[in-house]
Amino acid sequence: MAVYERIWRRYQGGLTPLGRRWTVITRYALAEAFSSRIFTAFYVLCLLPTMVGLFLVYLSHNTGLLEQIGMTREFVGGLTELFFQLLFSWQAIPAFFIAVIVAPSLISADLANNALPLYLARPITRRDYVVGKIAVLALLLSPTTWIGGLAVFVLQSSLEGGGWWREHWRIAAAYLIGHLTWIVVISLLTLAISAWVRFKPAARGALFGIVFILAGFAEAVNGVTSSSIGDLVHLVRAIINVVLWIFGLPLRNDLPIAASWLTLAAACALSLWLLHRKLRAHEVVS
Amino acid sequence: MIAANPHAPPVLELDGLSVALGGRQILDRLTASFSRRAIGLLGPNGAGKTTLLRTLLGFYPPTGGSARVLGRDLAGDGRGIRAEIGYMPESDAHIANTTAVHFVRLMGELSGLPSEAALERAHEALFYVGLGEARYRKVGTFSTGMKQMVKLAQALVHGPSLLMLDEPTNGLDPPARKRMIELVSDIRDRGTCSILLSSHLLGDVETVCDEVLILKNGAIAETCDLEADRRANRSFVELELEAPSDAFVAAVSALGCDVASLEPGRLKLVMPAARSTRDLWAEADRLGVGIRRLDLKRDSLQDIFLRAMEGNHGGV
Repeated sequence: MAVYERIWRRYQGGLTPLGRRWTVITRYALAEAFSSRIFTAFYVLCLLPTMVGLFLVYLSHNTGLLEQIGMTREFVGGLTELFFQLLFSWQAIPAFFIAVIVAPSLISADLANNALPLYLARPITRRDYVVGKIAVLALLLSPTTWIGGLAVFVLQSSLEGGGWWREHWRIAAAYLIGHLTWIVVISLLTLAISAWVRFKPAARGALFGIVFILAGFAEAVNGVTSSSIGDLVHLVRAIINVVLWIFGLPLRNDLPIAASWLTLAAACALSLWLLHRKLRAHEVVS
Repeated sequence: MIAANPHAPPVLELDGLSVALGGRQILDRLTASFSRRAIGLLGPNGAGKTTLLRTLLGFYPPTGGSARVLGRDLAGDGRGIRAEIGYMPESDAHIANTTAVHFVRLMGELSGLPSEAALERAHEALFYVGLGEARYRKVGTFSTGMKQMVKLAQALVHGPSLLMLDEPTNGLDPPARKRMIELVSDIRDRGTCSILLSSHLLGDVETVCDEVLILKNGAIAETCDLEADRRANRSFVELELEAPSDAFVAAVSALGCDVASLEPGRLKLVMPAARSTRDLWAEADRLGVGIRRLDLKRDSLQDIFLRAMEGNHGGV
């Protein structure tokens, strides 16, 4: 870029609205994430379940094509709710991996380089900062989860016709509510951990650890107590139960659905508290 | 140098401002008002200079009293204050894995500049601080001096009304320190931006600042208006003659000087603005009077600082 002025002068032009400043953080962080070709390739791979889902829906309604490849419509199975449940899982798992890869770069790098005072010395608040960072994950995860899921649902509805969507509205609700809940939970959790563990590989390890060690701990408690009480700390089972509940299917344990919502809400509250404690321009040591 | 607008609100007003952190009183009932273009915060390490700056930025909540920055109340308009400020922190601070121009542009956009304007001004700011050729290098690879300069660039990019500089010459070698002080003085002289400079280096503060707040143990040890002192003391001279000379006293009185004789051969003079020491030397030469010693007397900041440190101030 050509530089016309090599002196310092005041800025005389207009300013962007205060309420939109957090989008700057989001925009720069997204650009940073996609500056890695490996991540970009991985992200495209994460769209694969949705692509396969769309293809299968298209295939199940294309008798000519099915005949050409020697299949019948029964082979696809008429796209039962089980298909949509499996598709949900195959979207949710890559979403977790995306969050694990991206989240540690979002906050831990700022803390490691003492960048927080630079952000917070400007007219943005800690809330703006967190919203800006969460929006990065929300924008990355949405296309691979609920947007992709709803696209499959819409394609199936339009090809099936005859009020199919009215009979299966729970599928759309499960994709929307289930995936959005999952995005909120893993975004807050991954950001909170990345705020406390500044070394990125360690932060990633901690994220896996929290999800899978808690799952193992929950199973152990369930085994010892011969109950489902351990599932109160089982995040994955909680989100699965929420989705099953929306689908109208039996839950994976004998706890009420409120227990699963409580588990997820507690994880969010704990994450927000951890972020509140850590995200300060300067730490005060008592 | 452009004079400060007399109708503008004071740059900084402290009214009993107190801050306690981790159960310790760090700032204790600071009360002062500063209106000049460049304000210095002086004090030994741990005096509370950085805490005061951070409190003004809203990083630490006051436990008592209030403060106003550029007429805006700290309690009610913290965001408005930060919109007017460019802050250069003391410690190393940057955004990871970014080039200098990317970093400064981001900071400009966070301050409200539209994207294109932020990019243009990021380039300008980096050229201004002398990092034009290095602006596409990653900040993490910069030397200490370059990191200080890029911190100054990010503080300047959005054209703030008040520049807060926390130990800007820390870690700089003499040429880089000179360059930093020249830049800050240049910004001051342009007259569109006030400066609040925190430093423990007397020379930096004396060169740049017009007013000084000296802190000791979290309390105000001294405030002084260097600019007023400079004006008042500009023509105050102590002379020691080789021998008493009434003719010389009469001659300098005729020049318009107020003369007081301390003891035989030792004089104190207050010279009119139009006169300089050159006139005294000329009169001595004309009358054949030998001058053994001639001192332009003025309290240096060092004198003021040492007096403040010796005094029974502070005590948090």
